[in-house]
Amino acid sequence: MRLPSWLSQHLAALRALLVFTVLLGLAYPLAFVALGRVPGLDGKADGSLITVADKTVGSSLIGQAYTDADGNPIAKYFQSRPSAAGDGYDPTSTSASNLGPNSVVDTLSDNPDDASQSLLTQVCSRSLAIGKLEGVDGSRPFCTSDGVGAVLAVFYRDGLTGPVTRVVSVNQTGTPFLSTYDGVTVEPAKAGEDYQALGGVITPIRGDAPAHPVVPADAVTASASGLDPDISPAYAALQVPRIARERGMTEAAVKALVKDHTSDRALGFLGEPAVNVLELNLALDQAK
Amino acid sequence: MTLLAEKPNPTTTSTPSVVRGGMLDPHQLWKSLPDAVRKLDPRTLWRNPVMFIVEVGAVFTTVLSITDPSTLAWTITVWLWLTVVFANLAEAVAEGRGKAQAAALRAVKQDTMAQILDGGLVPAAQLKQGDLVVVVAGEIIPGDGDVVEGIASVDESAITGESASVIRESGGDRSAVTGGTKVLSDRIVVKITQKPGESFVDRMIALVEGANRQKTPNEIALNILLAALTIIFLLSVVTLQPLAIFSKAWQAAAPDTQAINGHGVTGIVLVSLIVCLIPTTIGALLSAIGIAGMDRLVQRNVLAMSGRAVEAAGDVNTLLLDKTGTITLGNRQAAEFVPVNGVSDRELADAAQLSSLADETPEGRSIVVLAKNEFGLREREPGLMADATFVPFTAQTRMSGVDIGDRQIRKGAAAAVLKWARSDSDEVAEIVDGISASGGTPLVVAENDRVLGVIHLKDVVKEGMRARFDEMRKMGIRTVMITGDNPRTAKAIADEAGVDDFLAEATPEDKLAYIRKEQEGGRLVAMTGDGTNDAPALAQADVGVAMNTGTSAAKEAGNMVDLDSDPTKLIEIVEIGKQLLITRGALTTFSITNDIAKYFAIIPAMFAGVYPGLDTLNVMRLHSPGSAILSAVIFNALVIVALIPLALRGVRYRPSSASALLRRNLWIYGLGGVIAPFLGIKLIDLLVQFIPGI
Amino acid sequence: MVGWLFVISLVLALVAVYRPFGDYMYRAINPKRNLRGEQLIYRLVGVDPKAQQTWGVYARSVLAFSAVSILFLYLFLRVQNKLWLALGVPQMNTHVSWNTAVSFVTNTNWQAYAGESALGHLVQMAGLAVQNFVSAGVGIAVAVALIRGFAGRKTETLGNFWVDLTRITLRVLLPICVAATLIFMIAGMVQNLSGGTDVTTLTGATQHITGGPVASQEAIKELGTNGGGFYNVNSAHPFENPTTWTNWLQIFLIFLIPFSLPRVFGRMVGQNRQGYAIVAVMAVLAIASIALTVGFEVHGGGTVPQAVGSAMEGKETRFGIPDSATFAAATTLTSTGAVNSFHDSYTPFGGMMPIVNMMLGEVAPGGVGSGLYGLLILATITVFVAGLMVGRTPEYLGKKIGAREMKLASLYFLVTPALVLIGAAAAFATGNNSTALNTGPHGLSEVLYAFTSAANNNGSAFGGITVNTPWWDTALGLAMLLGRFLPLVLVLALAGSLARQKPTPESEGTLPTHQPLFVGMVVGVTVVLVALTFLPALALGPIAEGLS
Repeated sequence: MRLPSWLSQHLAALRALLVFTVLLGLAYPLAFVALGRVPGLDGKADGSLITVADKTVGSSLIGQAYTDADGNPIAKYFQSRPSAAGDGYDPTSTSASNLGPNSVVDTLSDNPDDASQSLLTQVCSRSLAIGKLEGVDGSRPFCTSDGVGAVLAVFYRDGLTGPVTRVVSVNQTGTPFLSTYDGVTVEPAKAGEDYQALGGVITPIRGDAPAHPVVPADAVTASASGLDPDISPAYAALQVPRIARERGMTEAAVKALVKDHTSDRALGFLGEPAVNVLELNLALDQAK
Repeated sequence: MTLLAEKPNPTTTSTPSVVRGGMLDPHQLWKSLPDAVRKLDPRTLWRNPVMFIVEVGAVFTTVLSITDPSTLAWTITVWLWLTVVFANLAEAVAEGRGKAQAAALRAVKQDTMAQILDGGLVPAAQLKQGDLVVVVAGEIIPGDGDVVEGIASVDESAITGESASVIRESGGDRSAVTGGTKVLSDRIVVKITQKPGESFVDRMIALVEGANRQKTPNEIALNILLAALTIIFLLSVVTLQPLAIFSKAWQAAAPDTQAINGHGVTGIVLVSLIVCLIPTTIGALLSAIGIAGMDRLVQRNVLAMSGRAVEAAGDVNTLLLDKTGTITLGNRQAAEFVPVNGVSDRELADAAQLSSLADETPEGRSIVVLAKNEFGLREREPGLMADATFVPFTAQTRMSGVDIGDRQIRKGAAAAVLKWARSDSDEVAEIVDGISASGGTPLVVAENDRVLGVIHLKDVVKEGMRARFDEMRKMGIRTVMITGDNPRTAKAIADEAGVDDFLAEATPEDKLAYIRKEQEGGRLVAMTGDGTNDAPALAQADVGVAMNTGTSAAKEAGNMVDLDSDPTKLIEIVEIGKQLLITRGALTTFSITNDIAKYFAIIPAMFAGVYPGLDTLNVMRLHSPGSAILSAVIFNALVIVALIPLALRGVRYRPSSASALLRRNLWIYGLGGVIAPFLGIKLIDLLVQFIPGI
Repeated sequence: MVGWLFVISLVLALVAVYRPFGDYMYRAINPKRNLRGEQLIYRLVGVDPKAQQTWGVYARSVLAFSAVSILFLYLFLRVQNKLWLALGVPQMNTHVSWNTAVSFVTNTNWQAYAGESALGHLVQMAGLAVQNFVSAGVGIAVAVALIRGFAGRKTETLGNFWVDLTRITLRVLLPICVAATLIFMIAGMVQNLSGGTDVTTLTGATQHITGGPVASQEAIKELGTNGGGFYNVNSAHPFENPTTWTNWLQIFLIFLIPFSLPRVFGRMVGQNRQGYAIVAVMAVLAIASIALTVGFEVHGGGTVPQAVGSAMEGKETRFGIPDSATFAAATTLTSTGAVNSFHDSYTPFGGMMPIVNMMLGEVAPGGVGSGLYGLLILATITVFVAGLMVGRTPEYLGKKIGAREMKLASLYFLVTPALVLIGAAAAFATGNNSTALNTGPHGLSEVLYAFTSAANNNGSAFGGITVNTPWWDTALGLAMLLGRFLPLVLVLALAGSLARQKPTPESEGTLPTHQPLFVGMVVGVTVVLVALTFLPALALGPIAEGLS
């Protein structure tokens, strides 16, 4: 019996797909799964899990949150970066924030489910909180002193030009960070209003914060994976005095541990130096 | 002559040739304006998709200007219409030149009556193929055909522009006559070879008028590219609208402007952007370039039966050139006197000169000239030598000479002269063989029964041919010399002329085989020919140029006819073919690279009203959004007019290698295309900003 | 500074492998004899390896294989929750299944789902990863068929799709994947069939450490310029990209085949210098793009990066900014779409570069196979314009570029811009842009990015946009499908038309297509003709944002 050519072609295609599925979809990966059972490789193949006293405490590759049930930092631990994975460091829900570089206007609402923070406000509030935690200046450019984005909606007479007629501090419902702008009194924002849609021109105000904030960049930004196991050496250094204080250690001892858990750039030029937070915190716990 | 104002210069100049074109007469622009306006008819315009889009846009903006009038809207509308008119103008001007020529040709097509052999008179228009007609002195030949009986001198100036009459006779390669030419003497019987209404003159008229101009393969391909570009820019502009509406709505503070409002970018500006981005420059000039290219050929008295052949000429890889008349001067010339032992060369020269004084053939003249140049022998007036009797050359004696008293001097073919002198000198035979071997022709000179020596006649390669062939080589074209000579002679001449190859003792079959072989290797071949036996080769060649003096069969087989019957023309035809393509390519490049500046003019003008930061892109610092858009539209229109002369003349072309050509044209038209609009738009903006309301 | 060393080391490594690896691929595709394993496959599939296919049959084979693949994968995804290793995931709905099936078969690997929560291990291995191999194989096979078109002399045939696919898969893709998987496992990538491990963190909370056959999938994800991550965050996930040097290796694998294929081209047409010219075009565009992306990211820009002090949002500490930006450029210059950082949070101009890279048509160096054939199409268009400028009917490698060739080439380069522009416009016209997370120009960029990525079969995203709605799944699925198979059929038709021609011998009058001038011109055509088409749309997205 001869099949019509279009049909035989599709049958050949199906046979080819099945052959490749068996070869590439089963034989190839399963061979490596089997290889992953070889001692020496098995630890890595299973996720570089760390076991302390018969208890698996995590993976050296996966970051963890060192906060209490309310989300407040536990002071004796080095803190990880902010995470957008689930409620933080959730490997079943990995994610980045995906907020853009000009995400500066918060959605203010009396109902917390409708409210959302702009990336700028998130950065500002994290910076403020970390500054407070570490006892340093948490100010940043474009941030108000109360830790939200310093952003005005400026209304001009002719739309984008002309004299200023009205100014609103869009992220603040309380006292605005500026009293006047171009001679016009700055109003606080009302929840539920979209000042951009009303014709305001969104204008971030840089303010007088230092160009190089004390709180490092990685401390105030969410990572790509939400599982970033590392922090920068700068952020680690910022936390050293608090850790030393909380744990009653000398700063030098903590610094030494930090150094032990800092990996340099591979070959001297790949990537960035990084401090593995879980391993560092485990070392701290064990040092006690 | 009606076809040409003047006869073109001889084509074999010693300097590298530059293809020239006719100049553009400013009056022509004005005269063509009515035609240009007539071409606005969308039924004719749709064949040019690029300009059709512009016209649709112009109609659209006209409606918008009426419903919502403003200075900007009306000014842009006017300039959009002008853009279309300018494009039509280019085509009209190109066609206008042809029309004048066509009118002159029509005058040739008088309603003559034809005298059928063994029959009555019929109107020329009713002649059928195969009819035999009689034409006597003073009559106009009623149709194209071959002379089958008789010989006559014919005035062909009506079509060739050459005032000297030509001989047409039955049999041989000079049998073709053209309808509309005039028999000056004698009586001939012509067998009509044309179909009614398809005479040579008819075809010429159609050709110069561009009446049923077919798009050539490259033109079609280019049109496809231009259509694709048009679609892509159309898409990119039309799909912009929802994005613009979104952006305008988001930036609620932005006031409505002439460029953008709540309904998105205004129609006027959207159309302006489309028109500026689509390749209008080349779209407007494309057909003018094609018509002008054919026109340039016509001006050189070459009729191409199809534009395809002209393009093929640009692609030719191999040129088959007849030796005689193309590579060498038609005749051999005396190059050296070789005396036998015991005779001084002066004595030989003296005798040779005496024998040639009355010989008016080119060979004879050249002997006199050589004697004068080498030995200072002055020409002696034949009349002063009262007792001299000149003996003319006959086919029987195969020699000529002079009898002065008892001095009988003869020169001629070796065998004939030796026989006459009753001499069988081995020495002479040796000299004769030597000259023959080197590709020359020996003429033996004898006085009474004493053989004096031998005159070496040589083929003379035309001046400048070597340089010309070097150029060809640079262009990647191989030149092949075709000759009936034996291989040794052929090689000697080929070496001297600098051709790449030669075909010796060539029969028509050899030529055909050679062409086939070249084509087998993927090469395009061009050749000239005139005889009936050239017809198969002419038909096989990709570019076959038939001599107008040739047979009807040859003219039918080739795809071009050279009215001047100048075989060197082939080289020029190749250059014109190349120039045609280069002009298209250069203007396409120019058109596309123009877009860069236009983006920088229009995008900030459109959107800076919504996002003020985009004014950073206004690198030309144009006065206002309105003036920026208007300036771009005006530039776009004016550049068409500015380039009409270039389109008609063709870009400058010097034979050189492909990479040199590309480098040159890329710099001029690529870089020029980037820079020119920046300057042009800025300059126009400096003027239009003073228009109130812009 | 070290960021530049990272780029330079990649360039040097790719330069070093160009010849040996290109030659290896050449021999793999044109071997002296079949391997025993290959003969077995031919017998199982039921094809005669000696049979030659015309362009039409070749195209029908590709389409049949892809159609069967889409159907198979769709059904696989629909029933995956009932199969072995399902790990309790729910059934995937119809529109996400359609979108995913199309996405993986078209080498796009756009993901409208999160891998760790939506898929079981079996469908990842035996469904998605298989397509990672064969969709790459299809791309390379089509490119090889086009090369045969250029190299052929008056022939109707372009080779045999089944043979090409088998050889490419067995001799090129699989061996490198085996090596890369091993290296990745040593670096710490997981490779198991586990449903994950619950751990108690230092603070006493529970964390579910996921498992899966990741390393084996990661190798082909990069090598085949697929980009579909095992997990949602793709190569940012420490299990998919644990170290700074695996990051380097992944970029190297992404570039390896696309940058070496021009060597195969040069070898097969018998002029290595033609391969060098093509790879030079790719390299010029790629290096310029990487330099700009890295420059924009390092330099900052945008309010938030200025407030932060650097563009660290959405980037991993271990990779840092320059290496992340290099990855972003690499993944979008090719049709990979894997990410190790989140483009949505890039600086305005830094985030524009991935879009522009894709808009270039992904030809520098582009996807495996598709990059080469895309660039050869652009080179063909360049040859046409340049050829006219030297006064001859344009010819590329002796093949005349006439009306038919131009028609096919023009249609090819119309397809993706049309899909991108119409798609983006439709999203705004229908209000479906509202699923974008960000507002204003950045929201516009998210929509533009989505369609650019889908139509160019890239698969990366400005991740803020929610695309698992029926409208987005359908629209992007169509964009991927048409963006893959229309060009592919046009390429094969062009190959057929070229193969039929008798090549014109080269002469002084022939346009040289191996000289720097021509290379520059192809670069110019790519930038002016392709990228500028999108300038108006870009002006309302990243450019407006960047210049605000």
